Amino acid sequence: MRPPRTLFLRWPFGHALGEPGARAQQLSVLCLALDVLERARTPGEIVDAPWAWRRETYADPLRGSGPPLRSP
Amino acid sequence: MSLLRTLAARLFAAFPWLTKRWLAAHPQAVEADVPWTPLRRPLAECTLVVITTGGVHLADQAPFDMTDPDGDPSFRVLLEDAPATSLRITHDYYDTRDARRDLNLVYPVERLRELVAAGRLAGLARAHVGLMGHVDGPHVATLRARTAPAVAELVRGLPADVALLVPA
Repeated sequence: MRPPRTLFLRWPFGHALGEPGARAQQLSVLCLALDVLERARTPGEIVDAPWAWRRETYADPLRGSGPPLRSP
Repeated sequence: MSLLRTLAARLFAAFPWLTKRWLAAHPQAVEADVPWTPLRRPLAECTLVVITTGGVHLADQAPFDMTDPDGDPSFRVLLEDAPATSLRITHDYYDTRDARRDLNLVYPVERLRELVAAGRLAGLARAHVGLMGHVDGPHVATLRARTAPAVAELVRGLPADVALLVPA
């Protein structure tokens, strides 16, 4: 299949959002996916997530210390 | 779950590079043209529907068929207000242990509700869609000809502005 816009994470099957209980990690993935949705201009565009599996520290995007939540 | 499937699922989870090798040996169905609908309004005004292939379904719905080696191309409607305790995973083809501990790994509605509360999205659709990602053989044609159009029709009627596809 070829989805219109893709955020690619080189993570194990069954861990699309990361690790269990890792709220900041999960929110970070969703915020980046929404950014891709807003920014992609080419059908089939694939964006590689910048995170390695289990070697990252995630800031809580909803606390203002991570990627800003952009207003419309 | 068969012992072999359990072993394979855990190996893929432990060694992500195996996925690349497996995909190279098992070509996936590829659509010739990529569908494209521009985002027509700010996300803060959009309603989002989740479409997960993690084998998620409600406890009172029929589980996905694990007896057919070619998988199961059907889908389940997951009501947005369904409590987490009413949700189940039936999917023998990935290591589901972590997803059972935290369903957000394959069905991130709790995190999405936080983004709605923060104003990043207008809301979530009144229902989401659950599929089981192992679909092979004759079921691929069924997925294309029957399931996908039915899911599209469902999503259109919810309504929803954007769809988040979550693979497992």
